[in-house]
Amino acid sequence: MAEYYLLGVEIATALLGLILLVMGLLVPKTHNKGIANIAIIGFIAIFGVNFLYAGTNASFLNGMYLIDPFSLFFKGLLLIAVFFTCLISKDYILEQGYGQGEYYSLVTFATLGMMIMVSAGDLITFYLGLELNTIAFVILVAFRKNCAKSTEAGIKYVLLSAMSSAVLLYGLSLVYGATKSVLLTEIAKIINQQGIQPLLLIGMIFTLAGFGFKVSAVPFHMWSPDVYEGAPTPITGFMSVASKAAAFAIFVRFFMIALAPVQETWVIVITALTVLTLVLGNLVAIPQTNIKRMLAYSSVGQAGFILLGMVAFSKLGVAAIMFHSLLYVFANMGAFGVATVVGKSIGSDQIKDYQGLWKRSPLMAAVMLICLLSLAGIPPLAGFVSKFYLFTAVIEQGHIWLAFIAIGMSMVSVYYYLIVAKAMYLGQPEEGAEPIKVPGSVQLALALCLIVLVFFGVYPTPFTNLVLDVATAFFPF
Amino acid sequence: MIELAWLIPVLPALGFVIIALATKRFKLLSALVAIAAMATSLVISLGIFFEVLQMGITMENPVEYSVRWMSVPGIEINAGILIDPLTAVMLLVVCIVALLVEIYSMGYMEGDPGFSRFYSYLSLFASSMLGLVVANNYFQMFFFWELVGLCSYLLIGFYFGRKSAADANKKAFITNRVADFGFMLGIFFLFYQFGTFNFGELAEAFHGYENIAFLTMAAILVFIGPIGKSAQFPLHVWLPDAMEGPTPVSALIHAATMVAAGVYLLARQFVLFHAAPVSLLTIAYVGGFTSIFAATIAVVQDDIKRILAFSTLSQLGYMVMAVGVGSITAGMFHLTTHAFFKALLFLGAGSAIHAVHSNSIWKMGALVKKMKVTTWTFVIGALALAGIPPFAGFWSKDEILLATKEAGFTGLYIIGSIVAFLTAFYMFRLIFVAFFGEDRTEHEPHESPLCMTVPLIILAVFSIFIGFWGAPFVEHGFASLVYFEHPHHVTPDYMLMFTSTLLAIAGIVLAWLVYGKKVISAEKIKNRFQPIHNILYNKYYIDEIYQWIFDNIVLTIASMFKWHDRNVVDGTAHGISDSIRAAGARLRFIHTGSLQNYALVIFIAIVLIVLWMGMPVLGGIQ
Amino acid sequence: MLQQFYAVLTFFGFGIFFAIIALVLAKIFGPTNPTAAKITTYECGLDTQGPTWVQFKISYFLYALVFLIFDVETLFLYPWAVMFQKLGLFAFIEMIIFIAILVIGLWYAWKEGALEWL
Repeated sequence: MAEYYLLGVEIATALLGLILLVMGLLVPKTHNKGIANIAIIGFIAIFGVNFLYAGTNASFLNGMYLIDPFSLFFKGLLLIAVFFTCLISKDYILEQGYGQGEYYSLVTFATLGMMIMVSAGDLITFYLGLELNTIAFVILVAFRKNCAKSTEAGIKYVLLSAMSSAVLLYGLSLVYGATKSVLLTEIAKIINQQGIQPLLLIGMIFTLAGFGFKVSAVPFHMWSPDVYEGAPTPITGFMSVASKAAAFAIFVRFFMIALAPVQETWVIVITALTVLTLVLGNLVAIPQTNIKRMLAYSSVGQAGFILLGMVAFSKLGVAAIMFHSLLYVFANMGAFGVATVVGKSIGSDQIKDYQGLWKRSPLMAAVMLICLLSLAGIPPLAGFVSKFYLFTAVIEQGHIWLAFIAIGMSMVSVYYYLIVAKAMYLGQPEEGAEPIKVPGSVQLALALCLIVLVFFGVYPTPFTNLVLDVATAFFPF
Repeated sequence: MIELAWLIPVLPALGFVIIALATKRFKLLSALVAIAAMATSLVISLGIFFEVLQMGITMENPVEYSVRWMSVPGIEINAGILIDPLTAVMLLVVCIVALLVEIYSMGYMEGDPGFSRFYSYLSLFASSMLGLVVANNYFQMFFFWELVGLCSYLLIGFYFGRKSAADANKKAFITNRVADFGFMLGIFFLFYQFGTFNFGELAEAFHGYENIAFLTMAAILVFIGPIGKSAQFPLHVWLPDAMEGPTPVSALIHAATMVAAGVYLLARQFVLFHAAPVSLLTIAYVGGFTSIFAATIAVVQDDIKRILAFSTLSQLGYMVMAVGVGSITAGMFHLTTHAFFKALLFLGAGSAIHAVHSNSIWKMGALVKKMKVTTWTFVIGALALAGIPPFAGFWSKDEILLATKEAGFTGLYIIGSIVAFLTAFYMFRLIFVAFFGEDRTEHEPHESPLCMTVPLIILAVFSIFIGFWGAPFVEHGFASLVYFEHPHHVTPDYMLMFTSTLLAIAGIVLAWLVYGKKVISAEKIKNRFQPIHNILYNKYYIDEIYQWIFDNIVLTIASMFKWHDRNVVDGTAHGISDSIRAAGARLRFIHTGSLQNYALVIFIAIVLIVLWMGMPVLGGIQ
Repeated sequence: MLQQFYAVLTFFGFGIFFAIIALVLAKIFGPTNPTAAKITTYECGLDTQGPTWVQFKISYFLYALVFLIFDVETLFLYPWAVMFQKLGLFAFIEMIIFIAILVIGLWYAWKEGALEWL
C-alpha cells in the first residue's frame, strides 16, 4: 500500500476546494461573506501542514510524485501566493456580487494543480497538474463575465493555452518516444546511455516552447499582456506569481534533471530566450500607460531574470531561482494589491490616474513604491539580494556578457517603475479627490509584503541559507 | 538578560513601525507606544547593567555574539552585539535620557500637528542610537551612524515650513556627510588591510602591526567621523543651527546622546588611536581647541538654546580632549554626567521657551517667581555644568583636568581651567538674566505641566548624585568599570579640585556682579571691546568663511562640472535613454491584440528554433 | 540515419506529383461544359435556409458537459465493477470518494440551474 500520508498537503487542498464549493451552494447568497475567511484560514492551516513535511525527501508511486525539499519549498510559495490572493480578492469579489464559492474553490483547485506540477516526478503527472491549473485559470480570467475585456482575455487564454498545451504534449510524447520512459530520472539515465537523437531534440524544443508559454518567455509571451489586462486584478497577480513559479519549478526539474545530460544543447536555446525575454520585456514595458499591462511586461522581464538561473545550471542558479521567485511573490502581490484597490475605487488602471496617490493613501503609495523598487532591484530591498544572486550565478559560470545585459535591462526597468513612483509622489491628485479607503484584508496583505521585502533586504541570510540547502538537495553537482 | 540585548534597539524600531503604520491618527497612543518601547528597553538595559556587574564582565572579556548578516562572495558581514561595561553604561544613559525626553515631549509637543510624526522619529532615533551602541563591528556602527544622522536631519527640519529649519537641516546633512565620508574611508582602509570589520578582531590585528603610518592615517580618517558627529572644530558649524529643531530633540540628540556618539566611538576603538600616537595628539588638541573656542562664543550669545549649544560644543571638546590625552575613563564619565545635566538644561530651557514664546534670554527674566520648578532645576543643572561640588559636573570635569595634568599636557590643563571659568560665567549670565532680575516677559509665563516638570526633577536628582559614582574616593566606581587596558585609580588631587572650584565660583561671582548686581556695566565692557565682541558674537565668522568658500570656490568648480554633466554626460545618457524609449515604442506594435498573430509568432519561433538546433545535429549524424 | 529520410522525401515528392498529374490529366482529357449548378461549391446536405450564424442555446453545451462527466465516470466504474471482488475494501472506499466528488459536481450543476431547460 502506498504511503498516502505523503499527499497530506494535496489532499487537504482538494478537500478545501470541495468544501468551499459546497459552502457556496449551501450558504444563502446574502450571508456568504465569510467564505473568503474560510479560504484564508484554510490556506494558513495547509501552510502549517506543509511545514510538517519539512525535511522529507520521499517519492510516491515509484517516483511519479515527489515530496522533496524542492517541491515543498514551491508548495509553500504557492500557498503564500494564494493566501495573498485571497486577502486581496475579498472585497473585490464581494463587490462583484456573485460566485463567492466558485471563485475561491477555483483558486484552490488552481493551487492544487500547481502543487501537482511542482511535485510531479513524471511527465503525465505534470501534464495533469498543468491542465487542472490551466482550466481553473481560464475560468478565473473570465470571471468578470459582464466585462468584455475579461471575456476576451478568457477566450484568448483558453485558445492559446490549448495550443501551447498541445505543443507541450507533442513535445512530451516525442521525448517519451525517444526514451521509452515518462519518469524524469529514467529519462536522464536513458539519455545518458544513448546520447542525443533528432527525435529527442525536437521533443525538447517543443516542450521548451510549452514551458516558454507558461513562464511567458519571449517569443511565447504574447498572450500575457492581454490576459493580464483583462483578468480580474487579484487573479492577474496570482497568475503572474504562482503560475509562473510553478511552471519554473517543473521547467527547472525537467531540464536540469531529465535533460541534464544534454545540457550543452538546450542551454544555447535558453540563453537566446533569456536575452530576448530580458530585452523585449523590459523595453516594451516603458511606453505602457496601463499599470496592469506595465506589470505584465515587467513580469515578462522578471521571467528573463529567473531564466538566468537556468542558464547558470548550477546549485547557486537553482537557489537564486527559488529566492527570486519567492520574493517576486511578495513584490508582485503587493503591487497588484494596490492596483486592485486603486482600480476599484477610481475605476481605471491607467498610470496617470495614480497622480498624487501619496496624498490619497500614503500606505498604498508606500507599498507600491517599495514593491516596484524591489522588483527593480534597488538595495536595501529584497529584490536586490535575489537579483544579485542571479547575476552572481551567471558570472560564476563565465557568462559575463549575459550578466551585463541583465544589469543593463535592470537599469532600464528602474525607468518604467519610477514612472509610476513619479506619478504617485510628485503628481497632484485631481481637485476634490477623496482619500482612498483600503479594506482591512488588503491592508494586512500590503503590510506583510512591505515587512518581508524590507526585512529580507536588510537581513537575507536565513533565507539564502534555506534556498541554498534546498538547492544542494535538489542539484547535487 | 544579555541574550536579550538585541531587543534593545529592536523595540523602539518596532515602535517606529507601529506609529508610522498604525497609530498616526491617535496622538496619545503614538506617545504611549514610543514610551512603552523605550521603557522596556530601559528595563533590559538595567538588567544588562547589573548582569555586567555581577558576572564580572570587564573591558577585557566582553560578551559578544553575532549572526551572519549578509554574505557575498569575498565579504562576510556580521550583525552582532558587544556587551562590556562601556556598552552597558552607554545603554543606560541613552535609555534614561530618551525615556525622560519622550515623557517630557508629551507636554511640550501638545497640540502640534506633527505629534505622531515626532514620536515616530524619536523612536527611530532611539533605535538607531542603541543599535550604534551595541554594534560589535564598524560596518554595523556605520550603518546606525548614518541612521542617527538621518534622524537628526529629519528632526532638525521637523518644522520644515520654516526656511531657517530647512537651511539648518541641510547644513547639518552636508557637514555630516563630509565627516562620514572620512569615516567611511577610514573603515574601508582598515577592512582592506585587515579583512574584518569586527572591533575585537581588529584590536588583535593592531597588536604588533608595524606600519604605524598606515594606522595613523586610518585613525585620523576614522576620527573625522567623530569630528562631524560630535561637532568638533572645524565641522562644528551645524550644531548651533541644529537648535532649529524642537527643544526636546535638542536635549536628546544634539546635547545628550547623538553628539556623544563620536566620543563613544573614540572610546570603543581606543586601541586604534592608542596604536597611532600622532592621532591621539591630534584628538587631544582638536578637543582642547574646540572647548575654549566654543566657550568664548557662548559668553556673548543671546539665544538661550544657542548658549547651551555652544556649551555643548565646549563640553564635547572636553570629552574628546580627555580621550586624546589617553583617559577614556574620564571622557566617558564626563559623557555620562554631561548627558544628564545637559538634557536637564535643555529641557529646562524648553520649559522656559514654552512659557515665554521666545528664545532670547533678554525677553525672559524673573521666571523664578512664576516657574519655580523649572528655575531651580535649571540652577542645579547649571551648577553641575559649572563644576561646583558636589554636583555631577564637578567630579567628571575634575577627572578630565587631572588626566590632562597627569599626562603632562600642561597647556591643555590651563585651557581646561580657563574653560571651567568661562563655563561658570556664561551659565550664570544666562541664569541671572533669564531667571532672575527684572521681568521683561511679554506673555504671562506659567509653570509647565506635570509631565514636563517631573522629568526635570528626575534629571536634577541625577545631576546631583551621579557624580559620586566616579568620585575618586569611591571604590568600585566608574573607573573600575570603564577603562582602557587596566583600571586607573586616581588619587584625589585636592589642590586641583580647589583651583577648579575657585575658578568656577569666580565665574559665578563675576556673572553676578555684571548681570545680577549690575556693579559692572555689561554695556561698557561691550563698547570698550567692540571688535572682540563682534568676533565672538559672529562665532569667529566661521560660517561666513565657509559660505565664502562655498560660493566662490565650490560653486565655480561645480558649475564647471555642471557644464560637463549637461553637455557630455547628459548628452550621452539622453541619447541612450531616448533610443531605448523609441525602441520600446516600436517593439510595442508587435502586440497587435490579434489571436492569430500570437499563434503565428509562437509557431514561427518553434520552426526557427528547430531549424537552428536541427541543422548541426542532423549534419553531425550524417 | 539521413538516408532513411530519402524514403520520406520520395514519398513526399511522389504525392505532390500524383496530385498534379491527376489534375492535369483531367484538365486535358475531360470535357468542360460548366453550368450554374455545376460550379457551386460542393457541400453535403441541402442548401441552408436563412442565416447560418445563429446562436445555439447554451443549455446544449451545459448538458453535454454534465453528460460527459458521467460518461467518463462509467468508464472508471466498469473495470472496477468487474474486478470488485479482488480489489476489496480499499478500492471500494476510493470509488466512493470518486463518486462523491462527482456528486458534488452534479449537485453544483443542479443548484446553478444547468439542468433546467429554459
